[in-house]
Amino acid sequence: MREKIFRAALAVLAAGAAALLAPAPASAHVVPSTTIELDVHDDHVTAQLTLPATDLTTASGIAVPEGALEGATATAIETYIEDHFAVTTAGEAWQVEVHDAATARTEQWGTGEFPAVTATATLTPPSGVSPRAFSLAYDAIIHQVVTADIFVILRSDVLDDGSSSAATAEVSAAGSTTSNSETGQPAGATSARNLGTITLDTRTGTVAPLDVDLDADEGGAHGFAGMFRHGMSHIAEGTDHQLFLLTLLLPAPLLAAGRHWGAVSPTARAAWRITGITVAFTIGHSVTLALGTLGLPVPRQPVEAWIAVSILTAAVHAVRPLFPGREALVAGGFGLVHGMAFSMTLSALELSGTELALNLLGFNLGIEVMQLLVVLVVLPPLVVLARTRAYTALRVLAATLTAVAATGWLLDRVGVPNPVGLAADTLGAASPWIAVALWTWAVTALVAARVRRPGEVARGDQAALPST
Amino acid sequence: MSRFTELSCMFSHMKKHIEVDGDGRSAMLRALACTAGFAMVLTGCSGTGDAGSSETDTGSSAASTTSSGDSSDVVALAEAFAATLDDDQIAELNQDYTFENAAAWSNFPQALLTGGGPGGGTARVGLATSTLSDEQWTALEELLAGVTGAEENEGFDEIMQHLEADDYLADNGGGDDYGRGNFYIAFLGEPTDDGTWELQFGGHHLALANTYTDGELAGATPSFRGIEPMDEVEVGGDTVMPEQQERTAFAELLGSFDDNQLAAAELPESYGDILLGPGTDWAFPQEQEGIAASELSDDQKDLLIAAIDRYVGDIDADNAERILAQYEDELDDTHIAYAGDATMESTGAYVRIDGPSVWIEFSMQGGIVLDGAHPHAVWRDKNNDYGGLSS
Repeated sequence: MREKIFRAALAVLAAGAAALLAPAPASAHVVPSTTIELDVHDDHVTAQLTLPATDLTTASGIAVPEGALEGATATAIETYIEDHFAVTTAGEAWQVEVHDAATARTEQWGTGEFPAVTATATLTPPSGVSPRAFSLAYDAIIHQVVTADIFVILRSDVLDDGSSSAATAEVSAAGSTTSNSETGQPAGATSARNLGTITLDTRTGTVAPLDVDLDADEGGAHGFAGMFRHGMSHIAEGTDHQLFLLTLLLPAPLLAAGRHWGAVSPTARAAWRITGITVAFTIGHSVTLALGTLGLPVPRQPVEAWIAVSILTAAVHAVRPLFPGREALVAGGFGLVHGMAFSMTLSALELSGTELALNLLGFNLGIEVMQLLVVLVVLPPLVVLARTRAYTALRVLAATLTAVAATGWLLDRVGVPNPVGLAADTLGAASPWIAVALWTWAVTALVAARVRRPGEVARGDQAALPST
Repeated sequence: MSRFTELSCMFSHMKKHIEVDGDGRSAMLRALACTAGFAMVLTGCSGTGDAGSSETDTGSSAASTTSSGDSSDVVALAEAFAATLDDDQIAELNQDYTFENAAAWSNFPQALLTGGGPGGGTARVGLATSTLSDEQWTALEELLAGVTGAEENEGFDEIMQHLEADDYLADNGGGDDYGRGNFYIAFLGEPTDDGTWELQFGGHHLALANTYTDGELAGATPSFRGIEPMDEVEVGGDTVMPEQQERTAFAELLGSFDDNQLAAAELPESYGDILLGPGTDWAFPQEQEGIAASELSDDQKDLLIAAIDRYVGDIDADNAERILAQYEDELDDTHIAYAGDATMESTGAYVRIDGPSVWIEFSMQGGIVLDGAHPHAVWRDKNNDYGGLSS
């Protein structure tokens, strides 16, 4: 589909991204094409349509004048487009209303100026249906002019923070998958990206609808690699999963002394305990991830609530030992709950067979790798800081904050919305800074200790620094 | 025309005698005829000399019938061309034999494919003709002549006219993206009589794709021919009208149809271009449309064969004869369909020949650099596109 892709690219340029790209050959010309530019709002989508006037007349029989459209002609054009425009989600029809038909002279990259008709369509999903994933069946012009191409472009997205167009829509048309990440962002415009092209399937003579999913994973495809990345981002962005594991690890370098956390445990023993907790959590969530993906019913709300409970439990344990020495068991048990939440991501894709297996494996490995990275980044400074006086304060402060966040989430997830829960959702953004602060603090402590008692810190395993 | 035909016949008879002789003398004669032919081709087509009258062209084209199109000759010509190149050029010329490379042809000028647009298509692979010296051009033309037909305005002459037409575009508003320096020659795989390779040559509005397997021409398609200017123009004293015969052949075929036949052949849809252009490979419609050739009179069948021959005849005579014979055998199951203006003059005119093997489309569309309609056309083979390579 080289030419198609090429022309799709031109349409993207036409959508307003031309300024950033290398200059086009002065003499470049292509065939004028229909463009559908989507603006995605909270509860509906508007589509700005541009149709080449000549093709429109050929296909509809409606004569398009040079100047302004008369009311009757505008209505005829709007009706014609509505007759060839259907949007559905899982077979449920959206409301499609075409209005404001007008004539224009327009130019797409290299076409020169040509007469066109513009119109706006308001696309409204049924009540309760998201406007972010739909099937776009559009065959105005192409039902007759079978060599026409219809370029569908995302012009603006209410959820796009403008930071990137990294999230690439998954688009499939005519049985093939075409995805195209468009990074050109002219100043003052939201990113325009190509969602796909509606073309004739030359084998069957049919025009397939274009499936649009604005929130599909980066890479535009599922499969092992895509799901691996998805698994990693699930942990990286899933503050609650990170928080549970890290909070459980918070007292890991310490030995419990009755109802209090006492001396620093030897590093080797701490390392084994940390490894045990991490592995147990992994086993736990892997089991239910697999079961849930394979079809075990997962009650969403209770699972989300139990995750909050798991974090709260870990936070209390970090302050006062609840189950000293049995952290791995607890991590494994709560891991089962977290795995159920992971599985909801995969079961929503309704995969089966090899595809399911590959996706499951990729997603799970992505989760493990990211989890391991988090542990490797956060644990070393904790082990060092555990040997300082300040660790008690750090541990108790972190555990308290975590407990507050977990309580917020718990209330939210049992149906009591609250500002704490909302604030806790944004914690993830701060995590890189927390890691940097921990490392800085740990390095400073190490250097200070070395200055005070050279040789002792270097021996490592001894509890060289004063601890609580 | 008549003078050209006589000359053409004379030379093709001469060729037969030579082939029958089959001794050293024939080889020498062949070489002599070839050399003479190419000398005339070059003076005729270079666009620099006064000698380039159309009569000279006629003679030269006819003379080149002495090229056999045999794979061994093609390999020798390919090697001879490569021998004129420097190392950097060789590196560009030799490309991997892959479907991706084979499918990298287009109707667009190369600059449009590399123009910096986002994902702006994959450009042609191979050696740019802008790098060629006169000597290298001569060797390239000898290679092209060795794989193409010798009739005036067809085959080799057609390609030479395509180059002149693109020079014309460059000089008449098209600019540097057009012209004979923007064509590409590639060997996909090593030229050999023992294995598979593809000779690929193309540029704006032109794609030649000859695949050779074990010394045989395994496929001569997809073969794309479009042209702008469509109307006859003079370039350096030469008459340039490489696709007029194709248009005329379709117009004569459709012109011979009675009202019922026209009604049966007319497509309900409208066509702004061909269906199976670059990138739309192995995507032949499952259903044939239009009128079956079995519904045509013998005279009409002859017109159909003549139209097919305008494309098949672009390759060397022996292979063209072989392939045309196959298409003739399948003629009754071959359908003709058209849309728009049946005289194939105006924008929107479209005609398709859809057989068990043959697929030819011709589409008139709006002017790009110049005013007035211009055609895109493709000859494909449902079994032998890219010599059968499909992935």
